[in-house]
Amino acid sequence: MRNLCVLVAVLALAAVSAIGLAACGSDSDSGSSAGGGGDDSSVTIAQASQPDFLDPALSYTIHGWEPMWLVYTPLLTYKREDGKAGSELMPGLAEAMPEVSEDGKTYKLTLRKGLEFSDGTPVKASDFEHTIKRVLNLESGGAPYYEVIKGADAYLSGGNADADISGIKTNDKTGEITIELSAPEGAFSYILAMNFAGVVPGDTPFENMTKDPAPGVGAYMFTKSEPNREFVLERNPKFSDGTVPGVPVANIPTVRTVITPSVPQQTQEVIGNELDFMQEPVATDFLSEILDRFGPDGSEEQRYKEYTTLSTYYFFLNGDVAPFDDPKVREAVNIGVDKPALARLFAGTLEPGCSFLPPEMPGYVEALDSADCPWGDPSEAPDLERAKQLIKEAGAEGAKVTVWGDNVDPTPKVTQAYADQLNQIGLDAEPKILDGGVYFQTIGNQSTGAQTGFLNWFGDFPHPSNFFFLVDGATIQPTNNQNMSNVDDPHINKELAELAKEPDVTAVADRWEALNEYLVDKAYLVPYGYRKLSTFLSDRMNFADCTPISPQYYNDYSQWCLKDE
Amino acid sequence: MVSPSREEAESAGTEFTLDSSEELSGDPAERPGMGPWRLTGRRLRRDKVALVSGVVFLLIIAACMAAPLWADKVAETTPEENHLSDQVLIDGKPTDVVDTLGKPIGPTWSGHFFLGADSNGRDIMVRLLYGGRNSLLIGLAAAIGTIAVGLVLGLLAGYYRGRADSVIRWLLDVIWAFPAVLLGVALGTALALGGLSIGPVTIQGDSLAIPTLIIAIIYIPYLARPVRGQALALREREFVEAARAQGMGSLRIIFSEVLPNVASTLVVFLPLLVANAVLLEAALSFLGAGVQPPSPSWGTMIAEGVDRIVTAPHLTIVPGVMLVLSVLSLNIFGEGVRDALDPRARVRIEH
Repeated sequence: MRNLCVLVAVLALAAVSAIGLAACGSDSDSGSSAGGGGDDSSVTIAQASQPDFLDPALSYTIHGWEPMWLVYTPLLTYKREDGKAGSELMPGLAEAMPEVSEDGKTYKLTLRKGLEFSDGTPVKASDFEHTIKRVLNLESGGAPYYEVIKGADAYLSGGNADADISGIKTNDKTGEITIELSAPEGAFSYILAMNFAGVVPGDTPFENMTKDPAPGVGAYMFTKSEPNREFVLERNPKFSDGTVPGVPVANIPTVRTVITPSVPQQTQEVIGNELDFMQEPVATDFLSEILDRFGPDGSEEQRYKEYTTLSTYYFFLNGDVAPFDDPKVREAVNIGVDKPALARLFAGTLEPGCSFLPPEMPGYVEALDSADCPWGDPSEAPDLERAKQLIKEAGAEGAKVTVWGDNVDPTPKVTQAYADQLNQIGLDAEPKILDGGVYFQTIGNQSTGAQTGFLNWFGDFPHPSNFFFLVDGATIQPTNNQNMSNVDDPHINKELAELAKEPDVTAVADRWEALNEYLVDKAYLVPYGYRKLSTFLSDRMNFADCTPISPQYYNDYSQWCLKDE
Repeated sequence: MVSPSREEAESAGTEFTLDSSEELSGDPAERPGMGPWRLTGRRLRRDKVALVSGVVFLLIIAACMAAPLWADKVAETTPEENHLSDQVLIDGKPTDVVDTLGKPIGPTWSGHFFLGADSNGRDIMVRLLYGGRNSLLIGLAAAIGTIAVGLVLGLLAGYYRGRADSVIRWLLDVIWAFPAVLLGVALGTALALGGLSIGPVTIQGDSLAIPTLIIAIIYIPYLARPVRGQALALREREFVEAARAQGMGSLRIIFSEVLPNVASTLVVFLPLLVANAVLLEAALSFLGAGVQPPSPSWGTMIAEGVDRIVTAPHLTIVPGVMLVLSVLSLNIFGEGVRDALDPRARVRIEH
C-alpha cells in the first residue's frame, strides 16, 4: 500500500511538472508589460558567460571584442557603417591612413593631436609601442599577428618586458610612429586595426587587467568590472564629436552587461522587455515565435534581424591519410554533403554556401553559391548517385572514416549528420565527439591522423589572407596545426606568398577570387555555409534607426538609441 | 542526497533472519517448516504492487529487445539514420521531418516516426528502444560487475579482518570519498577520449564497456560494506566455528558457509543496484560522459532534447518517462523482494 502511495505521488508530481512546463512554453506574453531593462539613461544587456578578458591585449572572443571595440580605439579602425562599408578601414587614433614604403615593410603614421584617455592622461605615440609590447609579453592569442614587426622575436626571447621593440620608432613630441616589418605583410593595416592594438596608457601593467580595465580612447569607458557577474560601460567624458572623426559619441550614457548563463532565460527576458539586448543568438526554442512576432515580416514592430557574418563553416579532409588522399573521394564528399540539411541543424542560422571565402569578403565569388558550384547548387539536395559512383571508382566503398567534432552545440548534431551523409555515399563513418577544451589540440596533432571533421572560422579581419592561412602549406605543423586538411598545393602557396606583399587588397581582388575558385575546385575541404547571427532588442530600443551592424564587431552600442530620444 | 553514516551503511543488509519471519508476520499461511525461498515467493505473490512493477519492468525489457524488429519492419530506419531533408505524410499532407528552423515533427502515431523525430530527423521510437537496450544492458552488466567484485571484497574483508580488512576498507573509502556523479564524469570524460588499455585488453572510448565499468566501480562500496558487515557477524556464528573445528580452510568456509548466508542480501541488492546504475548511466550520458553518440541512450536523448524543451517537449518527455518507469518499477519490485525476504530489513542505496 505504501508503494502504491509513492507511485501515485510520483505520477501526480510528474503531471504537475508537465503542466508547469507546458505553461512555460505557451504563455509567451507573460511579462511583456514589464518595464525596460534599465532606467532612462541606461540599457541592460546579457552575455551567457564572462568575456575571456576585459583587456584589449588579451581578449580573443566576440564576448570581449563587442564591448571593447567601443572603449579602445586603435591607430586604424573600421567605418562605423552597416554592411560591407563597415569593413573599410579608416584612421582611428592616427591622423591618416599609413604611408607604406614601396617594399611593403615600413608603415608610417602620425598620432592625432590632443587625444586623451578616459582618465584624462594625454595619449603619446610611445603608448602604441607599449600596447604592442603588452600583446607580445602577455602571450596573447593575437601575438602571432604582431611577430611580423621587426625585433618582435628578439623582444620576446629577451624576456625583458620594458625592452624596446626595434621595429617600432615613436616620437612623443611629433606623434610620429614608424613600424618596420621583417617581411611584407599585405594585411598589416588590418592587423593595426585589430582590437589587440587598441591603445592603452604607457603605464598599464604587464598583467591581465580584467578586474580593473585600463582607460582607453573611445565612446565608452569601463566603470565597473565584477568578473562572472557584470561589467558597466559609461559614456567617456573625454571623447567628443571630432575626437576621432567618424567615430560617434555614445548615445546611451550607460550600458550594463550582466552575465546570465541561460540563453532561454535571456531570450524570454528580451521578449518580456526585462533585458534590452542579448549578446548570444536567441534560443532556438523561441526562434519561430520571435520571427513570427518581431521579425522583418512579424506581426509586431520589428525587434529582431539576422545578419551573415564573415565566417565559413567547413569539414576538413585530411589529404595525407586514406581515403581522402584520393581526389575522387574528396570530390565525392563535396558532392554528397547535403548543405540545406545541415542548415536545418543550425535552426536556419546558417546560409548554405560553397565558397571558402564568405560573402562581403574580398575574393568571395557569388557564382560559387549557385548552380555554378562545381559540386552542385549548395541550396539544393545533393546528387548522391554521382557521389556514390565516384566512391566506387576510387575503390573506397566501406572505407572506415572517423568524423571528429566537439561537444559545443550544434557541432555534435552536425558531426553525426555529416557521418550519416558519408555513410549514404558508401563510406563507413563513425562520429567521435570530444570535449571542446581538447578538440583542437587533438585534431591539430598530426599523430592523431584525424581524417575529417567539423571546423569553422570567423575572420579576425576582412582580408582573405585571414582565411587562406588555413590552407597555406607553410602553416602545416606537427602539433597545434590549423591547416587540418594538410593542404600543401604549390599554386596556393605561391599565390599566397605573392599576395602577402600587396597592401591594397582591392587591387588584387580578382586574384583572390581565382584562388578561392581554385581551392573549391580542388575539393581540399568542404565549405558548407556561413553563420548568421542576430540582433534582438527590447521594445524600448529604437530598432529601426539605431542598429547598424559592424561586419567585424557586430553590434555598436554607441549608436543605439531609445525610442523616446 | 545525504550519505548514510558508516555504521548505518554497514548495518544495512546485515539483518536477514529468514527463519524468524513467520513469527513476525503471524500469517497462518506461512507454515512451520516452509523453506525460506518458498516463503519469500509466497510473500512476494501477495505484494501485488511489487508484482505489477516487476511485470512492467519485464515488458520494458521485452520491448527493448524487440528494437531491431520495430526498426526493420515498422519504422524502416535505424537509430542512427538521419532524415533531415525527408518528408512524411501526415493527414495526407507532406510534412518536413525537420523544418527549416530545425524543429522536428512530434508523434505521428503511425509506423514512421511513431513518437516523432529528434533534431537530426532520427526516429524517436527507434532510438528509445535501442537506447533502452543500451541503458538496461549497462545497468545490468554494471550491477553484476559490482556484485562480483563487491562480494569478494566484502567477504574477504569481513572474514579475514586485520590487514586485509584495513586495505580493502581504505580502497572502499577512496571510492566512496568521491560523489558518484562527479567520479563518473571525471572517469567518463577521461576514458571517452583515449579509451582504456590494460595489458592486452583495449576498450575503445566510445564502447558501452566504458560507462559499464565506471558505474560498476562506483557502486562497489555500496555493496561491499554491507557484505563485509554480514561476514563479520557470520564468522562468529556457531556453524562457522564448527566448520573451522572440522578443519575446513578459510576460503572454503567463505564460499561454502558464509556466502550462502549473504545470498539474500545480494538478491535484495540486485534490482536496487540495477535501478541506480540505470539512473547513473542516464546522468553520465546526459553530461556527455556516458554512452557516446551516435549510440542512443535515454540520458543522451534527454540531453539532445533539452534545447527544444518548449517547441518539441517529446524529445525529453519520452525518454524521461521511460527512465522513470524503469527505475520506479525496479525500485518498487526491489522493495517488494526485500520485504518478502525479511520485513524488518532496511536496505537502501544512497549517494
